[in-house]
Order: sequence, then C-alpha cells, then structure tokens
Amino acid sequence: MTTKSPLSTGRDVQVAAALKAGDEAAFRDLFERTYPMMKRVALGYVDSDAVAEEVVQETWLAVVKGIDRFEGRSTLGTWIFSILTNQAKSHHGRERRARPFSSIGSGGADEPAIHADRFQKDDEAWPGHWAIPPRPWQKPERRLLSLEARDRLKDALAQLPARQRAVVGLRDVDGLPAEEVCDVLNLSPENQRVLLHRGRSRLRAILEQYVDGADA
Amino acid sequence: METGSDRPNPMDHSGPPPDGASVGDANSVPDEVVCEEFVELVTDYFEDALPPRKLSHVEEHLVLCDWCRTYLDQMQATIGALGGLGERALAEPSESVLAALRSRQETDGR
Repeated sequence: MTTKSPLSTGRDVQVAAALKAGDEAAFRDLFERTYPMMKRVALGYVDSDAVAEEVVQETWLAVVKGIDRFEGRSTLGTWIFSILTNQAKSHHGRERRARPFSSIGSGGADEPAIHADRFQKDDEAWPGHWAIPPRPWQKPERRLLSLEARDRLKDALAQLPARQRAVVGLRDVDGLPAEEVCDVLNLSPENQRVLLHRGRSRLRAILEQYVDGADA
Repeated sequence: METGSDRPNPMDHSGPPPDGASVGDANSVPDEVVCEEFVELVTDYFEDALPPRKLSHVEEHLVLCDWCRTYLDQMQATIGALGGLGERALAEPSESVLAALRSRQETDGR
C-alpha cells in the first residue's frame, strides 16, 4: 500500500518553509488534510471527541510556535506526531482517565473474522471449509462506489471498538505505514496486525451484507 | 443455501483429502490451511507477516480454493473502499493557532 499521508509525502522542506513564513493558505490546506488523521491519533489516547479536537488545536499551536526548532532530523510528520502524542498524553494525565488506550477492552479480539456457522462442522465432508461461501462482488465493485455504500462503511468504521477504529482509520483511510501506526499508538507490530485484522474483517462483513442484500 | 452447485469443490483436486491423510510426522505443522483458518490469516498474508512455511500453505490453499480467493478479493475491495473515505475536515484552525501563524508573518516580513 502506498503512503498518501500528507505528512509523509517528502514535501517536508516546503511545508516547513510555509509554516515558518506563516503562509495561511498553505497552513489551512495542511490543517484540513491532516485533521481527520490527527484526531484519530488523539482518540487513541483520550476518550471524547471534544478533547481530541482540543488536542489537535493545541498541537498545531505548538507546531506553529515551535517550527523553528524543527531541524529535519526526523520527518516533519514524525515531529508533529510526537508533539501530538505528548499533548494527548498530558490531557490524559490531567483528566486522570482510568483507561490508557492500550487497555481499552479486548478490542473485539476474540471475535472470528467469519462466524463459525459459515464453515462445515467436524462431522461434515470438508470440516473447516466453507459451508456458506462468499459470493464474488462484481468488478469494479460498483456498488461499493455508491454514496450509500460509502456512508455505510463510514458508519461501520465509526462503530468499531476504539483501538480497531484507530488502527484501520490510520492504515486504510489515511494510508499510514504499519510502523508509523505502531509508533503513534504505541502498539506492538503483532497487536497492530490483530487490531487491523479484526477491524477489516468486520467491515468486510458489513459490506458483504450490503452487496448481497442489494443483489437479492 | 446450496454450495458449490455451479462451482468446483474448492478441494476437488487429485491429492489426498484435507484431514486424516496429511503427510509428514506428527510434530510438524499441519500441512494444510482450511478456509476457516485462512480467513484469520488474510491480514498477516497482506502484511507479509506469515512465517515461510505458513505462507506456502496459504498460497497452496489459494490455488485450490475459489471461495477463499473470492474472500481475499473482498478484503482487498474493503481496503480499497476504506481508502476512498479520506476527506478534508470541516474543522477550522482555532483563533489562537491563526494568531500564532499571523505573528510569524510579521516577524518574517521584517
């Protein structure tokens, strides 16, 4: 998967120069493009939308004020993310939240990708093989491109357990590489993959219901 | 739902049945991946995180099983659809952020 993150595009020099010059148009563009991603990261540390939004604003304030200290030893994205996670953690501490990100529930980790009913049982001819197989989606998946499907998917993503939502959002919506997601959310590579897998599997199931339901 | 009426049985090949007849000694990793296991390995497969032996079993399974290839396609389509959800924020920078930015313009334009 290619990286399409606006903070990882190799335009660091130009972006940093624009920030240093106080270029408002360039700043607004950057702000708008990165906002959903930054809020997703913040929501890895704090519970409420409102607090996450505050954390993003505070991060930009610190970035704009401190951009002269950015020396290009890390990428601009890494630098901004480190400010973001520090801001989020300090909120986390201030509000004495009882649950750090890494301990929010199981993240649905025990749920299988596909319900066991869809596979043949041990006493059937091909145990563990599909009993109710997936039906191919037409290509290109036209139905998936509809506004309705997009809304369904968006809702389903929003309803995933917090950790799955953060990982799937950052990886698949924002296009961040796995290592960066592990970094900003403080996850082991294994945990990152498990959360990604659970989240994606659940979303595939939602789309399957949508596509098959619409076909019927 | 009738399965496989118009499609070949996924395991309809000349080899041994998936269970009971696997080659190799009792200590070895099972030689076959069945569909129920495959659907849990898809992400590790995409992420290149499968150990070599598991990877070859997954690839063998994919050669034989149309349904799991369909499943793989659907996971890929799901990832693709998620990539289309990116959007700009409706949010605006706060007044204090904009003020800090404007104060940079002043120092910069000296």
